[in-house]
Amino acid sequence: MVSVETILSWVLRAGVLSSAALMTVGFLSEIPLIWAGIVVLALTPLLRVVIAGLTFLSKGEWIFFVIALYVISVLVIGIFL
Amino acid sequence: MDPFSLISILLFGIFAGCLGAMLGLGGGVLMIIFFILVLNLPAHQAVALSLLAVIASSSMGGSVYLKDKITNVKLAMVLETCTVTGAVAGAILALILPSLFTEIVLGIVIFFAAFMMFKSPRSEKIVPPEAGSRLVLGGFYDALTKCDVLYTPVRMRLGLFASLLAGSISGIAGIGGGVVMVPIMNLVMKVPIKAAAGTSNFMVGVTAAASAFIYLTGGFVDPYAAVPTVLGIMLGAYAGTRIMVRVESITIKRLLGVVLILFGIILFFKAGGLLSW
Repeated sequence: MVSVETILSWVLRAGVLSSAALMTVGFLSEIPLIWAGIVVLALTPLLRVVIAGLTFLSKGEWIFFVIALYVISVLVIGIFL
Repeated sequence: MDPFSLISILLFGIFAGCLGAMLGLGGGVLMIIFFILVLNLPAHQAVALSLLAVIASSSMGGSVYLKDKITNVKLAMVLETCTVTGAVAGAILALILPSLFTEIVLGIVIFFAAFMMFKSPRSEKIVPPEAGSRLVLGGFYDALTKCDVLYTPVRMRLGLFASLLAGSISGIAGIGGGVVMVPIMNLVMKVPIKAAAGTSNFMVGVTAAASAFIYLTGGFVDPYAAVPTVLGIMLGAYAGTRIMVRVESITIKRLLGVVLILFGIILFFKAGGLLSW
């Protein structure tokens, strides 16, 4: 079974590298791509918390699933405030 | 923004990302100092860019530390409940307050970080797993000493309260909160410095993201300045994680402490109107 650390490592790496790629292409061509890269980057930690919560849920670790839910809720409130 | 400024952001980003990832700070404080003092950006704009820098540093550095099992994911998630709550509250407060106040708060945070770095003991007292909470046990392989380090964090309640304060400071000052979280985890909760840095590095991204959206929607991000910031920090953070596992952090922390004190003094002078450029 793949560990939670390995899964989260993949998520973070994919997020930051795709963001960097979008921002680099956007810098050389179109500004909307830079904004897309910035949004992908800002969403990466949020996605990391979601994936962590789901991983803990699949492992039956309810406490950490609830903790992840709380953190996501506060982050979403932060976005819409 | 002119080419010289963009290149200087990239180069300083590499430096800040490297130190930030090594020490678990994210590099946000250093980037803010650079933006305000060298590029003369308004404080809110500097803070917005530095939050992106912290997310990039945390994501790149965190991916490596997770792979090396240095990050204590469960401890990070427990402490995050407090840091994100404080960060959202702090970011809202920061948008209401004038730039002068933000600069003074930054100065205080920087002095505190420097003090804690000098205060760090050379040798660490690690609490064995059987002596504390089993919920957030941690362990990693130390490549420098070539042995497994098993530990358990202690004083969880104090750690949670301090995390709330750290989150609030990060929201106001626009940093990830690592300057507060690393000393708390290491000195108060007795988490080994490398695990504290790796765990803090993992956490600061979420704390910064909580504040970043508020600054993004507020229109404070210069997209052209964001590109070299993120790329530089990302490259530096990767290098920093590779260096951290092979060296003792104490010397670098004390060196950074000296630099932070100098920057803190300059920032106070600027906030007080004694310096302007």
